[in-house]
Amino acid sequence: MFKAKRRTVVTTTAVAAVLLGGALAATLLTSGSGKASASAGDGIVEYPAGHRPLAPDVTGTSLTGSPIRLSSYQGKTLVLNFWGSWCPPCRGEGTTFAELDKSYGPKGVAFLGDDVADTPANALSFTRSAGITYPSISDNGYLVVADFSQAGVQVSDTPTTVVIDKTGHVVGMVLGAALYSQVTTLINDAAVSS
Amino acid sequence: MTDVHAPQSESQPGSVAAEGAAGRLPGGAGRPAPSAGWLRWGWRQLTSMRTALVLLFLLALGSIPGSILPQEGTDAGAVQQYYVSHPGLAPWLNRLDLFNVFASPWFAAIYLLLFASLVGCVVPRCFKLVGTARTPPPRAPRNLARLPHSSSYASALPPEAAVARAAEILGGQRFRLRRPDAGGTDYWVSAEKGYLREVGNLLFHLALLGVLLSIAAGGLFGYKADKLLVEGQSFADTTSALDEFHPGRLVSGSDLPPFTMTLNKFTATYIQSGQSLGQPENFNANVSYASSPGAKPGTYNIRINDPLSVDSLKVYLIGHGYAPEFKVTSADGSVTYNAATPFIPASTSTFLSDGVVKAPGAATGTDLGFMGVFVPTAISNNGTLESIFPAADDPAVSLIAYYGNLGLNDGVPQSVYQLDTTRMTKLSAAPHLLTPGQTWTLPNGKGSVTFVGVKQWVSLAITYDPGQVPALVCGMLALAGLLLSFFVRRRRVFVRAVPAASGTGSVVTVGGLTRSDASGGFEEEFTELAAEIAAAEPNAGPNAGPTAEPSNKSEPGA
Repeated sequence: MFKAKRRTVVTTTAVAAVLLGGALAATLLTSGSGKASASAGDGIVEYPAGHRPLAPDVTGTSLTGSPIRLSSYQGKTLVLNFWGSWCPPCRGEGTTFAELDKSYGPKGVAFLGDDVADTPANALSFTRSAGITYPSISDNGYLVVADFSQAGVQVSDTPTTVVIDKTGHVVGMVLGAALYSQVTTLINDAAVSS
Repeated sequence: MTDVHAPQSESQPGSVAAEGAAGRLPGGAGRPAPSAGWLRWGWRQLTSMRTALVLLFLLALGSIPGSILPQEGTDAGAVQQYYVSHPGLAPWLNRLDLFNVFASPWFAAIYLLLFASLVGCVVPRCFKLVGTARTPPPRAPRNLARLPHSSSYASALPPEAAVARAAEILGGQRFRLRRPDAGGTDYWVSAEKGYLREVGNLLFHLALLGVLLSIAAGGLFGYKADKLLVEGQSFADTTSALDEFHPGRLVSGSDLPPFTMTLNKFTATYIQSGQSLGQPENFNANVSYASSPGAKPGTYNIRINDPLSVDSLKVYLIGHGYAPEFKVTSADGSVTYNAATPFIPASTSTFLSDGVVKAPGAATGTDLGFMGVFVPTAISNNGTLESIFPAADDPAVSLIAYYGNLGLNDGVPQSVYQLDTTRMTKLSAAPHLLTPGQTWTLPNGKGSVTFVGVKQWVSLAITYDPGQVPALVCGMLALAGLLLSFFVRRRRVFVRAVPAASGTGSVVTVGGLTRSDASGGFEEEFTELAAEIAAAEPNAGPNAGPTAEPSNKSEPGA
């Protein structure tokens, strides 16, 4: 009687253990493949020609109080950098953007910042120190980010850099702190498509 | 889950015992393939109550490390701290996913198996219940006097008519009836009532499935997020604006409803006197919100247990604190920092809070950093700053100033609540006390800091759980089904008539039984029913005693 009971317990435990092991292996394999497919090459997202989302026509106010409208940049390749002075990776890439502006500004590429969750005083203090002269939208409430999200362009973290071609379509974006070469790749993509 | 799916044999398929019990040999004619046997056996094991209980126990056991160890999802900082304090143990715990228990593969494996086990148990049970509910009453037993409840009376009507009359009465009381085939000489009617019991049972099981599916839907399509918001600040519901974001398996950033919100004002009131001095009375976060950027805005007062509902998600108020406003001026007179800075409460009873201010300078190595303690109602206790009340009645901050390199321009993310002073020098030996409006001119002409005023912050939990309402509805249906199956009795009444010995009329016997009478009361019901059937006779005989005679009752002289 007791032997039979013990055997039942052992069998049940063994079955539970085997099933658990199988399910664990299956879950591990599934999660492994998910991670692999999620990794985007070098933090750059490039939209193929013909599938480039149209950038929303956002409006805002600059850090110094001037009105800014995104559609006024049509006809130029636009590099739009989402940043905040509180964010170390954004500060780290600041000088890169100052250099890019100096090199590509004269070639007709426009630069614009979108300063999120920040105060104008803190933001201006940073742009002065980094030598950034192009304007930034004061986007304390992430409204520009939301507009891009609605347009199908996920600015999922800060910093993110979006490059828009002359027709107002998003060529691609750099997720995280941008390298000089990553931004120029997207600028070149925009030049080819336009 | 009301029955136990016991395996046909405790032994494994293919074993001698199993084959012996089945009386068949492996590979015999008509025997299914061995793999099918194994599969069936495995499925039976998985869907057994025992396995479900073992898995439930494992689920509870697996949750324990999730509640005693710091978790990545809720407090990543505490996990880092655990690494520092337990450098040998922490990597091993990490290998076992014990810092992220509820998202770990082994935890998922347990609940997926439990889900499969429950579904595998409940679905066949549902089919069985449908079958039971559709079954007609059984044929009337030959000897109704042997039933737990029975009575008989003499009828003036012939047997067929007497049974027909009884059937009319039973049908009128919504019994399901069964009569013998026409042309026979056997006169009886079987009646059964209480099918609602099976309906309740079925409803319970289906609702249980509904609860499971609702929870699964919540896990797949729902999400949870946290956001700290200072008075006057706003945010749009995007992943980059959220401090913490825990999406369901099938949720991406583009699925977030685009609502926007601004915290206008936060008010907390506290008990002003008595033993409960300082205990919170009420919290109220007044917010403006819109379902999408540019949509018509509305206002709402979020309180504890009174969340804001917008875009089918809920915004709960889960915490609050103070955000002192500072204005920092560098040595050259330019403003390098001007913002409200959230401080984290070190004491929830007095709201003495800690925080840091980082004011990067124009050039590398000219940054200013401050470690601060904020007290909402300040007193000096032998030179030590203390808070005696959680409301900001007499606020003050105590600051220690540092000068040097904050490391913000290195590009490496760092906590906004911690100051890395490794490349900085302290500007003063003692902390400096400031009240609102006061300015501290820093030593050696390094600039100044002004304590401008005090704002408050709230911590919001944003949750979207599409399974919540269906789970509640299914839960209520499950309860209703359970009550039905408990309180409704499945009862059977049989009437059988035979010709009377005198040659005219008949003797009618009524018998009854119930399959479950946990709540009692069938005896009275049967007595009334038998009396009603007997009373329906046009002229019942003198010995028509509509008396219920339990069959186990001892007869006199027996």
